[in-house]
Amino acid sequence: MNASASTPAWRIVAEREITTKIRAKSFRYGLLAMAVAIVAVVVLSAVLGGRPSDDTVGVVDAAGSSAVAGASSMADKARGGSSVTAKQFTSVAAAERAVRDGDVDAALLPDRRGYEVVGNSSIDPSLSQYLSTATSAAVLQSNAKAQDIDLGQLSDGTQVQERLLDPDASNSDQRRLAGIVFVVLFYITAVTFGMTIAQSVVQEKESRVVEILAAAIPVRALLWGKVVGTTALALGQIVVLVGIGVAGLAITGKTELLALVGAAAGWGVVFFALGFIALAGLWAVAGSIASRTEDLQSTTMPGQALLFGPYLLAVAGGATVKTVVSMVPIASAMLMPVRLAEGDVPGWQLAVAVAGNLVAIVVLVRFAARIYQRTLMRTERKIGYKEAFTLAE
Amino acid sequence: MLQIRALSRRFGEVQAVDDVSFSVTPGRVTGFVGANGAGKTTTMRMILGVLAPTAGEVLWDGAPITVEQRRRIGYMPEERGLYPRMKLAEQLVFLGRLHGADSASAERRADELLDHFDLGTRRDDLLDSMSLGNQQRVQIAAALIHRPEALVLDEPFSGLDPVAVDQMVSLLTDEADDIPLLFSSHQLDLVERLCDDLVILAEGRVVVAGRVADLQAASSERVRVTFDDSDAAWLRDLRGVDVLDVDGTTALVELDGITRSALLSAAVDRAPVNEFTVVRQPLSDIYREVIG
Repeated sequence: MNASASTPAWRIVAEREITTKIRAKSFRYGLLAMAVAIVAVVVLSAVLGGRPSDDTVGVVDAAGSSAVAGASSMADKARGGSSVTAKQFTSVAAAERAVRDGDVDAALLPDRRGYEVVGNSSIDPSLSQYLSTATSAAVLQSNAKAQDIDLGQLSDGTQVQERLLDPDASNSDQRRLAGIVFVVLFYITAVTFGMTIAQSVVQEKESRVVEILAAAIPVRALLWGKVVGTTALALGQIVVLVGIGVAGLAITGKTELLALVGAAAGWGVVFFALGFIALAGLWAVAGSIASRTEDLQSTTMPGQALLFGPYLLAVAGGATVKTVVSMVPIASAMLMPVRLAEGDVPGWQLAVAVAGNLVAIVVLVRFAARIYQRTLMRTERKIGYKEAFTLAE
Repeated sequence: MLQIRALSRRFGEVQAVDDVSFSVTPGRVTGFVGANGAGKTTTMRMILGVLAPTAGEVLWDGAPITVEQRRRIGYMPEERGLYPRMKLAEQLVFLGRLHGADSASAERRADELLDHFDLGTRRDDLLDSMSLGNQQRVQIAAALIHRPEALVLDEPFSGLDPVAVDQMVSLLTDEADDIPLLFSSHQLDLVERLCDDLVILAEGRVVVAGRVADLQAASSERVRVTFDDSDAAWLRDLRGVDVLDVDGTTALVELDGITRSALLSAAVDRAPVNEFTVVRQPLSDIYREVIG
């Protein structure tokens, strides 16, 4: 048995953390539930946001056909990929029958005064609007021609254009929804896997196996193994779920939203990893100062609070508060992705947030490792945070 | 060779271990004996590095022991514990790898140890589905999984039934053939049966340390005499003899100024002798003497 050539202890510990968790039913069902929830959100937003429409309109004359063509280009402009197709009928009665049978969505038929849009029990308001606008434009054009009027000159200066000051905000509701999905996803995953670390530590104390482990390998290696293994699991879950969300947006044709939210998703994974590692040591301490699993309720309070605060802010905070807190370590894991999903974030703020997290990782993990070492072998009772800070090794 | 040099440990005001020194020699079994709270477990924890000493050091072949060397010790803590929801073989392989073994050899070794304890068919059972006795067997297997270069076992026999004790003794005598083995126990008959060397601890200090044979030789010699059919009580009147016990025709005496052969001829002169046996003083007596 050549010890020098063997796998480093922290890796063996990390492997065990991962395989144990992956085999647990609670983990698999939890992941499945979250995946289903994300698919549901994507599908729901696709339905609410409206998909491209494809309407068929019955016509009986050439003027009708060309009006439908005009309506089609209007529909496409309003909602990318939409179209209106004309279907020729030989008589008004035949066209009306087709409307009644549902073969066409509506019919554009001449009447004594001009044209009428005929529907069965209702007409899609947008379709009706496109058809009437296109028809009146076409008729106006031909009337003008008949009376030898220059329509261009006549309508000069009558054009009213729209100009949006914040065009990206057009799908602000959907972007906000994406942001909230990020936050909920990150919060649930961070708390779940934080608790996983704490439980894994306290269970080793409770079963007393910790003494064999501490005799076999340095306590720090045990801590690192747990942090690395659990972070890999948490990050894996985030990547899978974000991947499902991105794929969902791509499949439902929301490429525009995807382009806006995609960068937020990428940054989100980065911030999640940084924030989770920064907090991982504290979760381990929550386990090592407890003596039984029940103690975790109280010992994990600081960790829970450090996640719940930013979570609340991310969901309900004002813009200024969000901007400031999104640069605070750990909190940035939830607030930055939200801000990125909702709009642009200046590069320097991203840099500050990343740097803050890196500093927090170094400081917190080292601090946690010391407390963990001091308290791990004290299996007889729960230790308070205050006492843990002052304990000698 | 495992050497414990001037180890001390203080918990607040309590001096749990006080300047303890002794050696555990390869190929020899060292018994570690003492009352509850004498400091045995604390000493063992310091040997393994689970607990830091207040003073003193642990040496391996004359130099301060390293993390890597400690990793190759097999340890069975007083507070037993393994992963309750992990399969036996998987658990042993995990612990073997932590101790520096590679997966394949740890796997082979796990099967070998489980077979020794007749647990081969249960290798994929969860630990908490086993009886306490079997859990204890697995615990011993966990201490041996990496073919340790030294063994430190805290109360390895407590809670074992006689069959398990025999299985364990045979395993340990095989395994510890050429490595240092230190074990603590309250069962002095087992200590006597197994140990070559003995360390007795009282209130954190070593009161006796040495070879069991020497300790027994140093104490006064005892002889059991049985006559054919005459009362043995007359031995009380013989000079140089201290009678410890008389039961009809049999007496247990301690030689106090008389030689063995002088006692034998005096006895034969008096009545026909059926049995004349030199009795080694049991460890329990030596223990009581030094502790008392």
